[in-house]
Amino acid sequence: MPAFNQLHTYLYLAVILFCLGLYGVLSRRNLIAVLISVELMLNAASLNFMAFNRFLAPHPAVGQIVALFIMAVAAAEAAIALSIIVALYRKLKSINIEQANELRG
Amino acid sequence: MSLLIASLSFYLVVAATVVGAVIAVAARNIFHNVLGLALSLIGVAGLFLYLNSPFVALMQILIYVGAITIAICFAIMLSQPLYLPAPPRNPLKIQGAAFGAGLVFIFLGLLTRQTLWTPAAERVNDWSITTIGHYLLNQYVVIFELISLLLLVAMLGAIVTARGGRGSA
Amino acid sequence: MPALDPLFVLCAACVILPLLAFGGIMIFTWRRPFLSLGISLAASTACLIIAWYIFWQRWGDPTPLVLNVDWLVSDLVRVPFGFLLDPVSQLMLVLVATISFLIQIYSIGYMWGDPGFGRYYADLSLFAMAMLGLVISSGLLQLFICWELVGLASYLLIGFWYEKFSASEAGKKAFVVTRFGDIFFFMGLAILVIFYGSLDIAAINAAAVAQKMEPWLLTTCALLIFGGICGKSAQFPIHVWLPDAMEGPTPVSALLHSATMVAAGVYLLTRLFPFFAASPPAMTYILAVASLTYVLSSTVGMVARDIKQVWAYSTISQLAMMAMGLAAAGLAHGTLFAGYFHLTTHAGFKALLFLCAGAFIHHYGTNSFFMMSKGGARHLTIPMVTVTIGALALAGIFPFSGFFSKELILGNLWHLDNKLWVSIGLLGAFLTAYYTFRVIFVLLFPRPEDHPAWDKYHEPLAGGHGHGHGHEEEEAHGHGHGAGPFSGHAPEWAINLPLIILAGVTLVLGFLQGTLERFLLGESHPHEMNYLLLVLAVGLALAGIGLAWWDWGRKGASWEGFLSKVPALEHFFIQKWYMDHFWRWFLNAVIYNLFSKTFTYNDRRVVDGGVDAVALGCIGSGRFLSFLQTALLQLNLLFMVLVLAGVGIYLLMGR
Repeated sequence: MPAFNQLHTYLYLAVILFCLGLYGVLSRRNLIAVLISVELMLNAASLNFMAFNRFLAPHPAVGQIVALFIMAVAAAEAAIALSIIVALYRKLKSINIEQANELRG
Repeated sequence: MSLLIASLSFYLVVAATVVGAVIAVAARNIFHNVLGLALSLIGVAGLFLYLNSPFVALMQILIYVGAITIAICFAIMLSQPLYLPAPPRNPLKIQGAAFGAGLVFIFLGLLTRQTLWTPAAERVNDWSITTIGHYLLNQYVVIFELISLLLLVAMLGAIVTARGGRGSA
Repeated sequence: MPALDPLFVLCAACVILPLLAFGGIMIFTWRRPFLSLGISLAASTACLIIAWYIFWQRWGDPTPLVLNVDWLVSDLVRVPFGFLLDPVSQLMLVLVATISFLIQIYSIGYMWGDPGFGRYYADLSLFAMAMLGLVISSGLLQLFICWELVGLASYLLIGFWYEKFSASEAGKKAFVVTRFGDIFFFMGLAILVIFYGSLDIAAINAAAVAQKMEPWLLTTCALLIFGGICGKSAQFPIHVWLPDAMEGPTPVSALLHSATMVAAGVYLLTRLFPFFAASPPAMTYILAVASLTYVLSSTVGMVARDIKQVWAYSTISQLAMMAMGLAAAGLAHGTLFAGYFHLTTHAGFKALLFLCAGAFIHHYGTNSFFMMSKGGARHLTIPMVTVTIGALALAGIFPFSGFFSKELILGNLWHLDNKLWVSIGLLGAFLTAYYTFRVIFVLLFPRPEDHPAWDKYHEPLAGGHGHGHGHEEEEAHGHGHGAGPFSGHAPEWAINLPLIILAGVTLVLGFLQGTLERFLLGESHPHEMNYLLLVLAVGLALAGIGLAWWDWGRKGASWEGFLSKVPALEHFFIQKWYMDHFWRWFLNAVIYNLFSKTFTYNDRRVVDGGVDAVALGCIGSGRFLSFLQTALLQLNLLFMVLVLAGVGIYLLMGR
């Protein structure tokens, strides 16, 4: 059976994507880069849904719908995050999240 | 023969996805990150094709690559000038992040491997876009509407936040 | 649980109806005087009917009827909640219901036009509820709760005209002073619970009679509980609240002094009579305190110029007499009948005396009976006749009710080996007759306008301690006709009717002595007539009246008491034996300087300091722990991820 017809291929791919995204979220200081990493994680989730939809789900429309919803939510999240980035930049003249530390104890 | 082509192109797509993701995460230039993200998203769209969903693949390219990536570009242009040198990396932080991500990788990998994935007993084989449309406007119509409401609120929130908060002109 | 006796339902109704009236008036109708009056009167009438019904139903049946529900149950301690119906409580039930009903009728006339009419009736209902509940409680804790409610109601009523400073002060004084006694009462209850384990009245009495209690426990508890009785029944040395309580409306004084509040103390003494009687030391102590109170109040009553003050001190003295009667009976293995009978008769004639005083005050707008006399009080026929009847009863003249009960008490005292007690009783009887008829003769025979005595008595009341100040204004204010939501003249019949009824009761009640004794004790003891004592008592009472006539009544009387021959003594009495001064000194020296200072220090340093230490500790530890809030978002996230992944891996490995 070819690799692209196996559930595990996609699942491992999704894990890789997710962990790369997580690594980005944890390591990057640029807020935009963090946002990009989050998009990667969202994609991993989306990929998982699609894979399950393809191989396991009783009805193949449901997973696709969920993937569509994820895209919509991601769009909303991106809009909010970008506006926050703009506001933060206006306030701190920087988008380095290590400098957004006004609440430090 | 077609199987071979399919396999080869599949590996290509996978490579695009992973390499794009690595660029998106690791490159120092923020613009390169965005380009890497776009590459990775296109790769994922290709994976969706392999998963029998050309519609979602198209949507992926349309929304993610077409809209979100461009929006991120706008944010880059609105915030930090690109010519500023990026601050030096903190190796401790990199190591910590790598360790955390690795641990999660192990966890998810184990989870994927150890779980026994069983397909549903009875599976319908109906991949048509028509069905998706029916579902969207029948069974999932409430969620659909809620999502649209969410988008509206997010838009308003984005405007308010980006304008500098309540009260400022 | 056995079938519920319908009588208990009636008992509960007796308590709940006035409470409902109180709540209803206070919440809904206090702005509407007539509606409030109707509600309160309806509840009170219902109580009256119920009380008489129970009385009639249980006539001639001395077996106590108890309904107990366990309320607080602990391992060894059981605090019941319920009703106890025996002759003692039934008679008191009737008494309280009747007197409070009559006083509600009377108050229609007296309080007519007062802006607080609705509130007044609400408070009266609360008072009735508390007292009825007290009377029929089966356990001491329940009794204590009602006891405190009585105190609360009396506080509300004494301070009814709260705009007036002295009235609100008097209310506070009554509340705090009686509370001072209640501390001892409560300590007594606590000791009883700890060492005996029950607060059921019947059980305690039975145990005391069967000598199942250790003597020290018995005596300690009896003395402590007597502390509460001292407060409520105004015995020395915490009687000082009662004269001040005259600041309340006069019907309230009547209620306070006859069947409720002060009677509650003696009632408790009666209720626990077997318990008290089992402890001779406690009884001796009670006898001594009561005798001292008796002499003190009688002598102060001789010099008071405010008619309500005179009656107030007479109340204290009569309460002391009841206590003496009970104590003497306890010491001589007698029965509770004498004291309890005096409580009954006293309730009747004291209510009568106060209501008459109220009639005069209402009419003349002054509290000084000298000024009333000047105004022509003798022409107010019905109050004048009835006040004389009441005074005769108070002085103990045949055939009025006071005669019978006083004779019984003196008889009890006579049985004691030490004749000192009976001589104090006789002396008190003499003084009582004197000061009572001082009031009557002054009212009846005013001096001519140019008599020199007017110079002395003309000045407004400036009694030893400031009460009496502004009674005139108060009364005028209190009865600002037309000032309230309703105007017009008060119905005269509402004032006169209770007077006539009570006068009738005073006349008749004495002859029911045998019947009541049979009812209370189940059997009637034949009393051997002690002619020597009889002659002594009546003779001394008549002598007192004669002396009063000589000093105040006869044509050439100087209107100066025989006491004015001894100015020092008279001054001592006018200053009320310096008891108020003593308490003022006590408060300053002991309470404020000793306790308050210590407790303030404790409060500032220990309690506040402890709280501050906790607060400072919180602040400090918060400062210290705030290093965790690094504002390094990704660090926090990293740890979260690490923990989650670690837990996940651990769970997967375990499979």
